[in-house]
Parts: sequence; structure tokens; C-alpha cells
Amino acid sequence: MMNFQSDLQSLIGRFKIWVRTFRGSITLFSLVGLLLVPLSGNEYLATVLVTAMIFSIFAASWDFLAGFAGQVSFGHAAFFGISGYFTAAFVEFFNVHWIVSLFIGGGYAVVFSLLIGIPCLRLKGPYLALGTLAFALILWNLFLTGTWLGGTTGISGLPSLGNIFIVFYIIAAFMVASLIIMRAIVDSRLGTILKSIRDDETCADASGINTTTYKLIAFMISGFFAGIAGGLFTLHLTAVNPGAFQTLYSFYAIIMAAIGGMVTIYGSVIGAFLFTLLSEFLRPLAAAALLIFATLLILIVRFAEEGVMNPFLERVQDVWDFIRRR
Amino acid sequence: MIEEILIYGTMQGALLALLALGFSLVYGVGGILNLAHGAFYLITAYMIYWILPYFIFFDNYLLRFGITAAISLVLVVGIAAVTYLGLMKPLQESHIGIVLVTFALAFFFEQFVKFVGDPKTHFIVPFVPDTITFLGVTFPAQLIALLVGSVTLVIVVTLFINKSTIGKSIRAVSQDYEAAQLVGINTDMILMTTVMISALLVGFAAVFYAPGNFIAPRIGWRYLLLAFSVTIFGGMGSIPGSILGAFIMGYATSLTDLLISPTFSVIIPIVVILVMLLVRPQGLLGKKELY
Repeated sequence: MMNFQSDLQSLIGRFKIWVRTFRGSITLFSLVGLLLVPLSGNEYLATVLVTAMIFSIFAASWDFLAGFAGQVSFGHAAFFGISGYFTAAFVEFFNVHWIVSLFIGGGYAVVFSLLIGIPCLRLKGPYLALGTLAFALILWNLFLTGTWLGGTTGISGLPSLGNIFIVFYIIAAFMVASLIIMRAIVDSRLGTILKSIRDDETCADASGINTTTYKLIAFMISGFFAGIAGGLFTLHLTAVNPGAFQTLYSFYAIIMAAIGGMVTIYGSVIGAFLFTLLSEFLRPLAAAALLIFATLLILIVRFAEEGVMNPFLERVQDVWDFIRRR
Repeated sequence: MIEEILIYGTMQGALLALLALGFSLVYGVGGILNLAHGAFYLITAYMIYWILPYFIFFDNYLLRFGITAAISLVLVVGIAAVTYLGLMKPLQESHIGIVLVTFALAFFFEQFVKFVGDPKTHFIVPFVPDTITFLGVTFPAQLIALLVGSVTLVIVVTLFINKSTIGKSIRAVSQDYEAAQLVGINTDMILMTTVMISALLVGFAAVFYAPGNFIAPRIGWRYLLLAFSVTIFGGMGSIPGSILGAFIMGYATSLTDLLISPTFSVIIPIVVILVMLLVRPQGLLGKKELY
């Protein structure tokens, strides 16, 4: 389906053109700025940013499913938690190398996305959202009341990945790779098919697209990346407990994607960073922080459907063009 | 054994009917999927818990509880009206927008309860004390109040929808939104009434069921899940379907409670959703299409 073996030369050429565009240069500047953070030697900031980067993968995976394929999921925590658990289990009980167990965890997330997707895709729109929410709640209850995989306390004491700054670069690499892959999928033929399903399912069906298969594919891709995020989160915290399944994480993905702007993939990064940094600032307020976020989400959904990234970038671009014309 | 299943199943069914009826009604009439449905239960229960101490000067607990419950119900119906006007009506065009905003609202209420109160579990003293032994089964007398209240409310609401003028308008809007507008029905008003009836029903569920049970900020999601699974089972937007579905689900839950284990009965809703979606996606008595 995807032609990854495109000519390297043309890829580099396209990259050079992209860098010269406004968005390209902004993105590169931000990325370089992000990668320079560990040089400051501030461990606290690095830890916060690592969380933000993990969440941006998670939010982007939600945006992929909801924004591009039009399938709103409220149970993304299910993939997050499943992969977290299996990654932890393979590292802890079978002594598998963490990077292998990460992908095994992602694989389990794909299996679960199929298990959830096959029955739930008979539902449309809001009912799909509720169906996935139900699945995540059930998994949460099962892990909370069950005795398997560490029971209510979960699995803890995983080997650390090393110095926080090394972790920072590992996770930055994962974030960049995941986002680029997701963006590439969205811009490919598969992405076009998904968008056509989102815009008019009957019409897509009539054009000879097997909508169920493609929706399942979207579910699996999204589940995989959510799983990668969950696995990285577990490895970063070196522990996992049933809390990984709670609705809060699904909510995190949605609020981050909504803050950044849906149907963008990259907006999730902005959303995740804004969200994580803001919640660090609001930490002294404890319970009020989540209350503020809930209010914020209501306001954003109600009044600013586009999120903050695109409108902001457009403003900046206007200013930039204005300066250059002088 | 069989008596226990029958009695507890009936009680569970009475609760589920109250929860699912409003949920199904709002969907059937306006196509609005209210994810804050469980949150309405949550805030009603907490308002009762918070307001009760203010009426300590009434010696009679039943009277004290009655006044508190009345205030809470009025407040929750008011909140529902504000929710409809402020959040649902402007976003009516996009189904996803409504789902997102009500989800955010449910989360907001959960955090609100956590913030204003505390995240611990609380206990409301039941307004009908003691236990009753019937057919050799002993159970809290509070459940009798739940059963009586539920049956009365379900009958009242069904009669209201079938006989009264507003009820007829509600049915007209659910059959054809635009045609209802053409004959001069104020559809916004009708939708608001429906959301308010739904909040009233779920509020009554909290009034009857929350005393004698533990309440915590997270319980809203559980009741949303119950309402949702009953609605899928009975057929989306079908009132007889959701009542029938509620009682079948009630018996199924109490059967698994007693035969297998209470931990297993937690996943009964999801099993019901799964099987129903695979076998008969439109539900027991539902309309053919799903949206």
C-alpha cells in the first residue's frame, strides 16, 4: 500500500523545499530547541518534557483515528494500558530487552484494537465513542479486581532506561518517528481513503471502498501508536498499575488533540506540550488543575473548534510576510 | 436461590429502567448522546449528601431527606436546562461536538465533586431504615422504595409522553424534526424539556438508590455505562425497549452475581453490548438504523 522505497534523492529535495517554507523552518527550529534542552542540565524540565513527548504520541494517535478516519474513540486508555502492561510483563517476567517488549506491547495493543474494533465498528459516530469508552472501563475494572499481572498494585520495579537525558533523546526519537510515520500515512493513498470515509461513508462505500476494512486498519494503526506511547510511559515510570486504564488518560488524549487542533497530527504536539507544562504550573492547585482543564476543554470545543496551533501559525505567518515585504 | 435472583434482579431492573429511560429518550428525540448522564446521577447524589446537614433541625429523617431530595432534583433539572441551552443547542449540528462537550462536562462534574468535596467515598443513610424479609430473602427496605418509585415514574413518564400535549410534541419532534417545526412546534423548547425529563429521571434514580450505597466522584461513569448498555440492548431511542432491556439486564446481573461472582457481573454490560452488536445491532425493539 505504501511506497516507502521512494527515491532518496527526491525525498531530500522535498525536505529541502519543506525546510524553506514557513512551517518547515518553524518546526525545525522548535525541534532543535527541544533537543538542546538536556544541555541545560535541568533534570526536572527534562522529566516534564519526556512526559509531554510521550503524550504527544498518544494524542496524535487519537487525532489520527478521530480527525482523519472520523472514528471518535473515548477508550484510547485501553490501548495505552494494555501495551503498558504487556511491555512491563515482558521486561519483568521474561527478561526481554525493553525495545523488543515495547513493540510486543504495541502488537498486543493492535490485537486489542481489533478485538474492540470489530464489534464497535458496527456503531457510528457517538455510539462508537461510547462503545470504546465501555471497553476501556471494563478493562480498568478487570485489572482492578483481577489477580493477573500483579493485581491491583500492578507491576513495578522495572529496570530504568538509564540517565534521564538519554531517555529524553530515546523518546524524542520515538516521538519524531511516530509523528512522521503517522503524517506520511495520512498524506498517502490510505489517508485519502480514510478521509473519504470520514466525510461521507455511504459515498465511500459506493465508490468501491471496503469501509469496514479501512476503518479497522485505522483502528489498528491508531492502537499501535497509542500502545507505543503506553509502553514508553511505563518504561519511563518503571511501573504500571490499573490506573493506566482510567478514563483520565483517554481524556488527556482528547484534550491535547483538541487544544492543539484536530485533523493536524502535529497539533497534538503543541497540545501535549501546552497541557503538560500548564499542568506542571498548576500543580500547586492540586485538584483545581483538572477542573480548570475540564472547563478549558468545554470552552475550546464550544468556541474554538480549530484549536490553537493553526490559527496561531497563520497569525505569525501574516506578521512574518509583513516584515519580509518591507 | 431463585427467589434471590428474582428479587434482586427486579430491584436492579428498576434502577436500570430509571437510568436508561431518560438516556434513550434524549437520544430518540433529539439525536443527542448525553455522556453527562452518569454525571447527573453523581451530582444529584452529592447534592443530597451536601445539603442534608443543613436541615439538621428537622428531627424526622424522612422529612429532612424529602426536602433535600426536592432541592437536589430542582437543581439538577436546572443544570440540565442550562447544559442544553449553553452547550448542546449550539453544537447540535455536529454529533461529535456534542459527544465531546458532554464528555468534557461529565469530567468537569467529576473533578468539581472532587474539588469541592473530597475524593473519598461517602455514605448516605437510607431514608427507609431496616431490612425486610420476603420469600425468605432479607434485603434493605430502601429497595422497596426504589421499586415503587421506579414503577411510578416509568408509568407517569410513559403516560406523559403518550397523552399530554407536550408529550405529543415530543413524539412529533422525534418522528420528524423539520415537519414538527413546520407545524409550529418550538423544537428547541421540546428538546430542552426532554433533557430536563431525562435529568429528573436520573436524579430520582440517585434519590432512591444512592442512600444505602457508597458514593464517590468516579461513580458517574459506571451509571453511564449501565444506561448505555441497557439502551443498546433494548434498542436506541425506544422507550418500551429500554424498560424491557433494563429488567432483562437486571436479572442477568443478579444471576451472575449469585452463580459466578460479583466481580464477573461488572463485565456483564460489555458482554451484553458485544453480543447485541454482533447479533442485532439495532437492539431488541429498536429502529433499523443506528444514527
